[in-house]
Amino acid sequence: MIAYLVNLATLVCINAVLAVTLNFIMGYAGIFSLAHAVFFGIGAYVAAFIALRWTDSLLLQLPAAMLIAGVISAALALPALRVRGDYFVAASLGFQVLAATVFSEWKSVTGGIGGLVGIPPASIAGHAFTDPLQFLGLAGVTLALVVVLTTAIVHSSFGRSLKAIRDSESAALAFGKNVALIKTLSVFYSTAICAVAGVLYADYLSFINVESFTIDASTLFMAMVIVGGIGTVWGPIVGAVLLTLLPAALTYLPFLPRTEIGSVQQMIYGLAMVMLMIFKPDGLMGAKQREA
Amino acid sequence: MLQVSKAQVPPATLLEIANLTKSFDGAKAVEDVSLHLREGIITTLVGPNGAGKTTLFNLITGHLRPTSGDIRWRGESIVGTAPWKIARLGVARTFQDLRLFSHMTVFENVLTVMEKSAWFWQAEAGSGAERRQRVHEILEITGLQHKVGVRADDLAYAERKFLSMARIMATRAKMWLLDEPASGLDPRSYERFVTLLRSEVRRGITICIIEHNLEIVVSISDRISFLDQGRLLADGEPEEILGNPELSSIYFGERNS
Repeated sequence: MIAYLVNLATLVCINAVLAVTLNFIMGYAGIFSLAHAVFFGIGAYVAAFIALRWTDSLLLQLPAAMLIAGVISAALALPALRVRGDYFVAASLGFQVLAATVFSEWKSVTGGIGGLVGIPPASIAGHAFTDPLQFLGLAGVTLALVVVLTTAIVHSSFGRSLKAIRDSESAALAFGKNVALIKTLSVFYSTAICAVAGVLYADYLSFINVESFTIDASTLFMAMVIVGGIGTVWGPIVGAVLLTLLPAALTYLPFLPRTEIGSVQQMIYGLAMVMLMIFKPDGLMGAKQREA
Repeated sequence: MLQVSKAQVPPATLLEIANLTKSFDGAKAVEDVSLHLREGIITTLVGPNGAGKTTLFNLITGHLRPTSGDIRWRGESIVGTAPWKIARLGVARTFQDLRLFSHMTVFENVLTVMEKSAWFWQAEAGSGAERRQRVHEILEITGLQHKVGVRADDLAYAERKFLSMARIMATRAKMWLLDEPASGLDPRSYERFVTLLRSEVRRGITICIIEHNLEIVVSISDRISFLDQGRLLADGEPEEILGNPELSSIYFGERNS
């Protein structure tokens, strides 16, 4: 039972890192990306690739994954500089579909549909995180660092510039904001930290395949942000906790056949989203309802 | 009335517009306009709706690119320069629809304007404490000192207008382009607004303002430029322009279009 809870808690931490980084661009830069799972996947594949061929050292896997995800984030930043709102969502969706195809076809690197197995546990300075409890500690510390860093950025001058661009791009330009640079940097930050979650994920599960990095995953991450409260500090974390634990909780419903869990889950997600949009459009942690 | 520039020699030109034309699919929104915006005075752009006044602002600030002609800031052409770079040269503007940073607080709206750099250090803007001090001063002047933590979205109409002014005050720009900043203000707010403009001009700010209210036009203008259907019909001292019966008939809509 303890092992089970530790496992859940570790996944919650990883998902929370993903939700926090997605919230950073959704809530503060106004960039609604349906391609977040791509960078999660890039982090995971880079970590697995390095771990299987060269080293299990996190100190090498992390920077490599962050750098590669950050560079590839240009694929997201470029459309974000040109189109906004719905058009960008569509562009990111296209990118997500494309990337999922690459993940499943580029067999020499990603192992194709079958994925990669036997990824060794991560290590730092020769200490391998083989004990799940220790790995939970690693994931928890990572989450804490990401939350602290992201919150600091949001409250800095850079964060204010981001929010200004989100609220009015033309006004931000008129007040001397280098909009293109600021947007590009924000996407770079978001995707690079997203890749950190990918590294932890691969090293933790020791098995990855494309299933974890598809549009379904991207939708789930976006749901975490929206359910928890977009543009808030704690919202994405609450969203990640809820939407990670939900499937686990559903397995304890005695009247539910195990084979049906998947579809029931989808129905509950859908229902929760609709109810939320009706009763709490700013998310669970969102600002209290404003007067109309 | 402001009589800063009654000397024989006109003040130096800060921004020069030369034969500027902007077409949208063949329709000319601005047509062959040449205009000098002179240092330290208030130039008012008047003219009926659709005269091309806001388009002219958008051309100056780089939000639009001219079809032909030139715009020179202190003698250097700024055509094709990115809007944020033009802003940093010292040309700031307000928008007719305000475009406040609506989900940010009043304080943040003003503070972020002072923070030019995309990075975390703000080399040009002094220390953080100095900037915050300056924000409070500006909010005091614009009467928003009790609204510091309120979201821009939640402000009343006149307060939103003043926040728009507070933002431009925070820029340290030499030239302000104001797009109908006083429209819809009640008499008391309007008085505060005129006082504010005058003290800023005394501080050395050059202002170009789009305004419809003739009472305001008369009370603040050092020069008036009259636009109609994209063309500059007249440019001169207020008495000259406002005394011209032909212009006033156009202005008051006795035109067949």
